[in-house]
Amino acid sequence: MKRLVCLVAAGLLAAVSLPVLASQEEAREWLDRMTEALASSNYDGLFTHTTRHHAETMRIVHRVENGHSVERLVSLDGSGREIVRTREQVHCYLPDRRVVLVEPRTDLGALFTALPASGPETDSMYQMSVSEGRRVLGQPVRIVDVVPRDRFRYGYRLWIAEETAMPLRSVVIDGRGRPVEQTQFTKLEVLEHIPAKETEASVDATGFQWIRGSVAGGLRLALPEGLRSAKFPHGFHLVGVRQQAIPGSPLPVQHLIFSDGFVAVSVFIEHGHGRGPTPPGGLRVGSANAYTASAEGRVVTAVGEVPEATVRDIAAYLVKTQQSAPAATGK
Amino acid sequence: MTDQIKEQISALLDGELPADQLGLLVRRMERDEGLRRTFGRYALVGETLRAPNGPLASAGFACRVISALDGDPEKPKSAGRTTGSSAGSRRMRWLVGTGVAASVLMAAAMVMNPVNDSPAIVASAPVAVPSVVAVSPQPDLEPRFSGVSPTPEESQRMAGYLVAHSEFATPIGRRNVWSGVLADEPEMSLASYESIEAD
Repeated sequence: MKRLVCLVAAGLLAAVSLPVLASQEEAREWLDRMTEALASSNYDGLFTHTTRHHAETMRIVHRVENGHSVERLVSLDGSGREIVRTREQVHCYLPDRRVVLVEPRTDLGALFTALPASGPETDSMYQMSVSEGRRVLGQPVRIVDVVPRDRFRYGYRLWIAEETAMPLRSVVIDGRGRPVEQTQFTKLEVLEHIPAKETEASVDATGFQWIRGSVAGGLRLALPEGLRSAKFPHGFHLVGVRQQAIPGSPLPVQHLIFSDGFVAVSVFIEHGHGRGPTPPGGLRVGSANAYTASAEGRVVTAVGEVPEATVRDIAAYLVKTQQSAPAATGK
Repeated sequence: MTDQIKEQISALLDGELPADQLGLLVRRMERDEGLRRTFGRYALVGETLRAPNGPLASAGFACRVISALDGDPEKPKSAGRTTGSSAGSRRMRWLVGTGVAASVLMAAAMVMNPVNDSPAIVASAPVAVPSVVAVSPQPDLEPRFSGVSPTPEESQRMAGYLVAHSEFATPIGRRNVWSGVLADEPEMSLASYESIEAD
């Protein structure tokens, strides 16, 4: 009798959990299709980017050239700033400052931005589901929800076009269910071909100051001595370290990349007694948060599309580590 | 800026602008800062009105605002009374009316408790977590944003950090980070936490 009860209970549990697992798997497939569409399609779109206090209209043009993506994002409001990502570099044009920031493109991000693999650890961080949505821009969509299970990451709701798998709308949501940032396309064309000139900067940068960054050596995957990943917010692991010159920073910095398999957090460690990019404390740029702390002649800044608590905890722990083992990560 | 251009912006936001006019308008916006700002204002009004569970104005309220703008507060216009107007003038009146209405509602929202504008998803129930834990258990502090913009040097340096970081973001994450970098300065605001756990 006891065995029968167990079997019935197991059957009921399976009946309840199978649809959830199926939805989770389907959501994963839609995210996979979306990622592929964003990387491999030629598209030209206008979207509004809205945060809690600000809305701005942007134009994005993305084309694939010999298997490599080239894209251009330009602000159509106010500043006229734009970013062009070519095969080799990322150019950030700031006409209001008469400055162009140049960062080498690495494409290493693809190593860390794969979708979360199935497994208990991922399931302990995010729950995913998919549902049918209303039409967006006249197109039927699927709504994919990526819901965090703790306070160290944001949630996402994506409206993905059924036909093209392009995300027509997206919302980043904080732990209290409030939208942090939204983007919504008002026009999006997926095209066979886009002329190269459409991804060229429209800013006349004559006379601008060009500030170039560079990367010294490759990306190391070893965990620097003195850092213990188990002490970072749940799910975040160190996935790479490199030395690089950052445009605007006077000295080369150590760049540590942490990932939970879905989002990345960058930590920049500057050596010396100079100031960081912000006074000690936090800074918010859209849904990205930054937190700077300093100790023992080092300035640690954590940056990522994660809640304030995550960048604060990572930066604070690294400062603590630097204090207890000041020579550990400096080389 | 002519009414025709404003109508084109409105049509664009409604997804009704013909393709042959779109390219022309976008090129014009890239050259004309005033036009870009107008577009941004219209988009903000639209986003405010479309926000999930956001402030909603009744049709009567919009009509009263439009009537007030027409200088005829005693006789709110009904849909029937505008039959003789062109579609363009109706659109302009709607835009002005909803713009004012949205401004009033936004001001009211700032005075009253903020509305719950969340899409209906929140952090899901926690499940058993492996042995890894967060750094010292700290209260989930809500940062106090000072509203003070960083200095030009600080924001330029932060832009460099964000661009370097974006190389490791997902495609959507990268677009969001870039959008933050391209946005006007007021969005980049300093926050101060109740405590800094550096020790």
